[in-house]
Amino acid sequence: MHNVKRFLILLIVALAVGAASFFTRATLSAAVVKVPDPTKVVMIVDRDSNDIAFMDIASKQIVGRTFLGNNVNPHMVMMSPDGRYVVTGGTRANKAYVIDARTLELVKVIPVDIAPEHLAFSPDSRWYYQGNPEGDSISVIDMLSLTKIKTIPGLVEPLNTVFLPDGSKAYVGNYGAHWVGVIDVRRHELLKKIQVGDVPGVAKLDPDKYLGEIQGINIPQITNDGRYLYATDTDLGVVAKIDPREDKVEKVIRVGKNPWRPYMSHDGKYLITPNNGDQTISIVDLRTDKVAATLEAGENMTGVNFAAGKAFVISSTSGFVYVYDMNSLRPAGRMKIGTNIQLETATTDTKDEKLYLADSTENAVVIIDAKTQQFEKVMNVGLFPWGTHIMDSKDNYCH
Amino acid sequence: MIRSRLALFVGAALLTASAASAQTSVSGRVSNAQGGVIANAEATVRALPPPGATPMPNMPNMPQPFERTATAGADGTFTLTGIPAGDYVLFVDASGFERSSQTITVGNQPQNLTITLTPLILPGAEEPAGAAGSVADTAVLLERIKQLEQRITDIESEAVLSEPETRVKRIEVYVDQNGVQTDQPAAGAKKEVTYQRERVYRRQTINEKIEQALADADAQAVKIGIDATTVTQGAGRTTGDPDRPDMKAYALASADLFFAAKLAQYTSFFADVVALSGAPPDREIPSLTLLNGYTARLVNQNELNLREAWLRTEFFGQRLGLTAGRLDLTNYFDRNAFSNDETTQFLSDALVNNQMLGLAVNGTGVVADYDPKNAFNFKIGFQQSNPDATSLSDSIYSLAEVGYTMTPFSLPEGHYRVWYRANNGDVESKHAVGLSLDQKLSPVVGVFGRYGQQQIPGDWDRYWSTGLSFATGMVFNPLDTWGIGYAQMDLASGDKEHLTEGYYNFQLTERLRLSFMLQHVLDRQSDKFGYLLPGIRLQAAF
Repeated sequence: MHNVKRFLILLIVALAVGAASFFTRATLSAAVVKVPDPTKVVMIVDRDSNDIAFMDIASKQIVGRTFLGNNVNPHMVMMSPDGRYVVTGGTRANKAYVIDARTLELVKVIPVDIAPEHLAFSPDSRWYYQGNPEGDSISVIDMLSLTKIKTIPGLVEPLNTVFLPDGSKAYVGNYGAHWVGVIDVRRHELLKKIQVGDVPGVAKLDPDKYLGEIQGINIPQITNDGRYLYATDTDLGVVAKIDPREDKVEKVIRVGKNPWRPYMSHDGKYLITPNNGDQTISIVDLRTDKVAATLEAGENMTGVNFAAGKAFVISSTSGFVYVYDMNSLRPAGRMKIGTNIQLETATTDTKDEKLYLADSTENAVVIIDAKTQQFEKVMNVGLFPWGTHIMDSKDNYCH
Repeated sequence: MIRSRLALFVGAALLTASAASAQTSVSGRVSNAQGGVIANAEATVRALPPPGATPMPNMPNMPQPFERTATAGADGTFTLTGIPAGDYVLFVDASGFERSSQTITVGNQPQNLTITLTPLILPGAEEPAGAAGSVADTAVLLERIKQLEQRITDIESEAVLSEPETRVKRIEVYVDQNGVQTDQPAAGAKKEVTYQRERVYRRQTINEKIEQALADADAQAVKIGIDATTVTQGAGRTTGDPDRPDMKAYALASADLFFAAKLAQYTSFFADVVALSGAPPDREIPSLTLLNGYTARLVNQNELNLREAWLRTEFFGQRLGLTAGRLDLTNYFDRNAFSNDETTQFLSDALVNNQMLGLAVNGTGVVADYDPKNAFNFKIGFQQSNPDATSLSDSIYSLAEVGYTMTPFSLPEGHYRVWYRANNGDVESKHAVGLSLDQKLSPVVGVFGRYGQQQIPGDWDRYWSTGLSFATGMVFNPLDTWGIGYAQMDLASGDKEHLTEGYYNFQLTERLRLSFMLQHVLDRQSDKFGYLLPGIRLQAAF
């Protein structure tokens, strides 16, 4: 009985200490946590005020802002899939910035290569691949130790990286070449180069075009089921279907002039390429791998979002968003966002109801209701908002 | 009851004791590079994935790793207790410093670590209180020098211009009677729009600066374009009177000079000056339609002619466009995607224009086009049809069109149009109607068709054409196009024409095209005649 009493006293003391510790920690955490749920905010990368702003989706209020330093000029913002960190590449600082997703404090600045722009996370959030287009490399950052563990060389203006769902390989779009780079994620090494299309024989007659400036591959976009990748080549005007099992091109589909990149519809039926060379969009049927429709669009298209059964195509310098019905594949109107403005890129909420479009010259984010095609502007989100991001959105992309 | 509760407590206590026996503590002291104590730092240990775990587990289903956090005291020390043996990452955060992270292996013995934090210095940010208050001045200066050296290296690596950018913005302000301007509404102040420069911290590379300057200059400049084409054709008589020309060669050279400029918001100016010289087959072969579509432009040999000069402006969210000036009204109507351009597609006018549109001269006119970008579009316009008329009201040529874009029967896109024409001038035909369609059958093959009929006293003239167009496939080079077409004229007078043409257009470069075409025309007028016409078209456009 005496022993039982001692055990009971020990237990009560342990529970009391534990409870005190828990409540103390909870109180401390509550004081600094600005974003309790990372899925409930829109991240806005402000290029010219050099910060990341966090807007609460429900209240449309800016709940926090992380300043990165003058002349950093962040390019793309992304949250790690586990919701722990928000990262961005400071294009003019040659550094990667790691922000705590809950407290919004800048916790690490990591030197990378020249002009970091677009980035990607491995599905398990372990690896952060920061593309450095002017360094022709990718910096590999270990998100456990928050250190750069490697720089992958041998790429040519790497614009975007996409990981396979199992995280075993990553695919890199080289805008300065006509091949997709395959990276072995275990070793963080370039495994293979996949050429997406042949340069036509008449190219030698046109050195101004083919030797003057190259516009190759922006991104190898993965299908929703993870089975294939589709990569556009801007100069060649094609979309290549890549089988990642064998890392070979299965089919080459000719689309409009100067396709920017592919965007996958959320139902997995179509992809869209905005063709800035002839101001059209090509809608490719992924079941047949054929162009299902080529429709008139606008100038300087920078993105495509999908919501409410429609596609929204952003025409940057015209101030318009073009709308297409994805059931009938017909034009469904054009939204005039403003006059003398410049639109950037957008993200879609996880319910596929609203778009959050960066309106850079108005320092605003435009919230578009996909169903009604009405919109409202949230002003003063920062200087020159360049892009937006919502955790788990299917339309997280950058220019 | 008491026994069972007692057993529960005892069990729980035993479990706690057992767990405690496999756990240990991690403690440490947090300081800066010079050894100065950093108080209130937050230390966290987070378990690493165990050996053999799936390398890339799917995160949503992955269990949350073990994690424990403690706050350092005023002396910079912290202790994390109850840490099971295993591999961990230890993070230490303090305001004004970069996060420290390191991998540690925890065994059965307590660990004591020394953590050194690096100040987080952001150019332009306020000096962090934590860093400034706890680090010696010399140490801060040394760290600053290190940071500056790194920044110089960065700048040297890409020759960046570091002057802050400025841009002019349109802003709304409130101005009272005394001219006092405020950003917020004030009593007696009116809202006004003004422009103001703002300074931003953005750096551009020299290349970006140059590209921006060139783009700005280009946007303000008058744009000039040239389209120079030479068409060489031969003609061999296949049937008809032997007195008619046979085995002849023809050539026509055309040069168009375009000017375009932006005048105001959504308002632009365009002019097209053209000069032609040469002898097309239409001067010797009296077919009902022009065998060389360029002949329609041939007003005077070797002379510059102003073909078009107009202003265009847009209203209502740019849905409504108005174009006014000297123009060719038929350019804006029946714009068939596969057979509407003599410079890159068919050469015969019968496969370029609907012959029932019925206008050959350019004149002063206005076109309104309403395009809400929702598949439908509407156009209406009028033009002076006779340059010799003494008043516009006696020579009004007008057109109206409704267009629709659709994807029928799971085919790619197709464009369908219906139009109506009226002409009150001194012409035989006062009214005409027509249809036009271009429908892609696949990404490679498209079909087109046109029909039109014009009313003449007591009867109708009729015209139709059809054909196929090929692009992006079944070609030698990716951007080549080719097509075959047939057109038929059936006039109330009894005259008839059957015209067939095939062409192949090589896109040699972005600015240079070479086309080969073969036409056959069979006319039944006062007599019957037929010709086979091979041709070559060389076009430079830039």
